[in-house]
Amino acid sequence: MEKLTLAPTLNTPSINFDPIGNKFALKGESRPENVRNFYLPILEWLEKFATEISGKDSSASLDFSFNFEYFNSTSAKYILDIFKILNSINKAGSEVKVSWHYEEDDEDMYEVGMEMSRMAGIPFEYVVEES
Amino acid sequence: MSDSITLVDYEGAITFGTIEMLLSKLRNSHEFQILKKPSRKRLYGIFVESIDNIYKYAIKRQGKSGSPPKISVKKEGELYLVRAGNLVLNDDVGEITFKLERVNQLDVEALKSLYEEVINKEPRSNDTGAGLGLITMALRTDRDIVFGFEVVDSSHSFFEYEITLKG
Repeated sequence: MEKLTLAPTLNTPSINFDPIGNKFALKGESRPENVRNFYLPILEWLEKFATEISGKDSSASLDFSFNFEYFNSTSAKYILDIFKILNSINKAGSEVKVSWHYEEDDEDMYEVGMEMSRMAGIPFEYVVEES
Repeated sequence: MSDSITLVDYEGAITFGTIEMLLSKLRNSHEFQILKKPSRKRLYGIFVESIDNIYKYAIKRQGKSGSPPKISVKKEGELYLVRAGNLVLNDDVGEITFKLERVNQLDVEALKSLYEEVINKEPRSNDTGAGLGLITMALRTDRDIVFGFEVVDSSHSFFEYEITLKG
């Protein structure tokens, strides 16, 4: 499966999904003009990826890094959907590691991560970024 | 009465380009930059959600001319006030009132439960019907969202609200 790479813009995060290296990262600000057009291809890529790795024996974990500076409420729905797909990948037998990055005094972003983790049923590792 | 300092004060049509201009104006204002990061991010978030609401409502309901949307951020003493307003259909007044009164009545834990209910219920669209946005804003302030409607004509009212944040 090919990599999924999107450069960051003023209102969309960078996307770097590398299925060979098992590293997947989102970073930046998320308030797309058309949130559906931005996130649907990402969700479809992940669903296809989940199907491809289903049943394959792999000892390597899939490392997902979420480093949002800010995301708006319409993006939140789609970000939660990403975590739901990751949960299904985890349940299917591939180990998924999620790291949730937040700036050291950004308690709101930390709490949103806790809520996302709880709602999607997948544990997060919390990584403090020095501001 | 404390002096009022204006960070942003805009009245007119909201396009996606306008949003970037207004966000840039907010980010570059001195009174925004002196805020501690958590408060700065809260103010930024409330401002984005407020503009998003106006922008999406304008797309859904082509408003009539004469009552353009407005949005402002002001600092009064230690408080930051976000005030936003736009024309709405009189038919929507009941639903908007219901949603605002609901978030004003709920405590943080109840707001989080409502957030979970709404985020899981809504389809994948570009519009959360102001549901999640309002809940998100209510979670970022410890005061009630003050709001009101002024009847413009038999079909329209001007809806305005104000959210207060501690600096």
